[in-house]
Amino acid sequence: MTLTDQMTMAKPNPELQKKIFSRLVNIHPDECFQCMRCTSGCTSLKLLELKPHEITLLVTTGFIDELLSSDIIWTCAACLKCRERCPQKASPYNTIMILRNLAVEKESKVPEAYMKAMSQILETGLMQQETPVLSREAKPFNRQTLGLPKLHYPKPKLQEILMKILGG
Amino acid sequence: MSLREVTPHFNIELIDLHETSCCGGPVRSINTKAATYLSIRNLALAEKSGLKNLLVPCNECHFMLCEVSHRIQLNQQLHNEVETLLREENLQYPTTVKIWHTIDLFHDLITPEKIRLRVKRPLKGLTFAAHPGCQIIRPSEIGRVDHPEKPRKLETLIKALGAEAKDYPEKLDCCGAALLYSHKEAALSLAGSKLKSLQEQGFQALVDTCPYCHIMYDAKQKEAVSTVGGKSMIPVVYYTQILGRALDIPSEKLGLHLNQTFTTEDVEF
Ligand code: SF4
Ligand code: SF4
Repeated sequence: MTLTDQMTMAKPNPELQKKIFSRLVNIHPDECFQCMRCTSGCTSLKLLELKPHEITLLVTTGFIDELLSSDIIWTCAACLKCRERCPQKASPYNTIMILRNLAVEKESKVPEAYMKAMSQILETGLMQQETPVLSREAKPFNRQTLGLPKLHYPKPKLQEILMKILGG
Repeated sequence: MSLREVTPHFNIELIDLHETSCCGGPVRSINTKAATYLSIRNLALAEKSGLKNLLVPCNECHFMLCEVSHRIQLNQQLHNEVETLLREENLQYPTTVKIWHTIDLFHDLITPEKIRLRVKRPLKGLTFAAHPGCQIIRPSEIGRVDHPEKPRKLETLIKALGAEAKDYPEKLDCCGAALLYSHKEAALSLAGSKLKSLQEQGFQALVDTCPYCHIMYDAKQKEAVSTVGGKSMIPVVYYTQILGRALDIPSEKLGLHLNQTFTTEDVEF
């Protein structure tokens, strides 16, 4: 017998579910008993309507496809309250991170800033370019004028390795 | 800047590690394995330098390094893969480096007592709000620098300077920095509502240690406060900046001219 979501006619996706469970070492969404402790303290509940207990439930029931294309997995502020407070070691935070990874693998819509940071890291090893800062009086300063040592960037080998990892 | 200025006063020498990269924080959302590699690689660079202690002032970087070190131990296959890749960069899997943060460096190693003895200009009559941040106190299972729900160390460090540090209801509220990537408005309003409330409660300044929180509360304060209908500003300073002033280090050396929210008319440091 398989479940069907009567609102959307969506079906569970057991393969994806298996993939998620296998990547969550020592994190146990399947132990969640829906106490909602995670949601009651979630940083993104009020502003963005993130309900981590629902994310956990959707994963444990297998309704994952829609989650991957939904913006909701990109609303987590990574405050780690749910990771700390969950009495069942289900840590919705870690589940959400894996869901994001899968959304990227599936080439779902991923917030642009993440992809930008990633390509910057591939290019230089750092997520941002060195930019001058402005003082309160709008005077520009850089590392040199602030007396800070020069940055020494990683060698190109790092890029090669990261590409290998990202390529699977 | 201020961290570099104050540490020598306590016989701590900081040596810059070369060729370090991003900790992998933003990469975790895209590819956990790549993020793991970046974190472990930075630790491996520290190990290769022969230094035993790595100071990581950013909450997210500190979390990533600790989290990844913790999780990779549960996953032998990933451990082996990372080890092989490290070898391509002539690095070894790190085993001995101890990771420090500004809060435990000053609280646990240097100690508030020693700080108190060094203070030349006690910051009398000032009341600060402490913002420890999220990722530096949670999750406790991987070892964090303070209590996950009742952090007190930053307050103790502030009091060691002769200033007051009062608790406030929003202390555990997140700065929202991690949401900047995907939900800028929400990120700003998280920061803004905390700042607005701190101002209403009459604090002279908010004290933080994490550069990421600091961007939200200082550099982006104007935008943040306006998203929640606030008008006035509240100064935001790094702990090492007020410590530096208490040690009588000139403001410019501590980078206080770079804080966007701080003016000497507001607070006499
Ligand atoms: S706190 Fe843990 S057990 Fe409770 S609902 Fe959330 S994920 Fe489930
Ligand atoms: S880590 Fe994410 S899901 Fe968990 S409580 Fe914080 S914002 Fe909510």
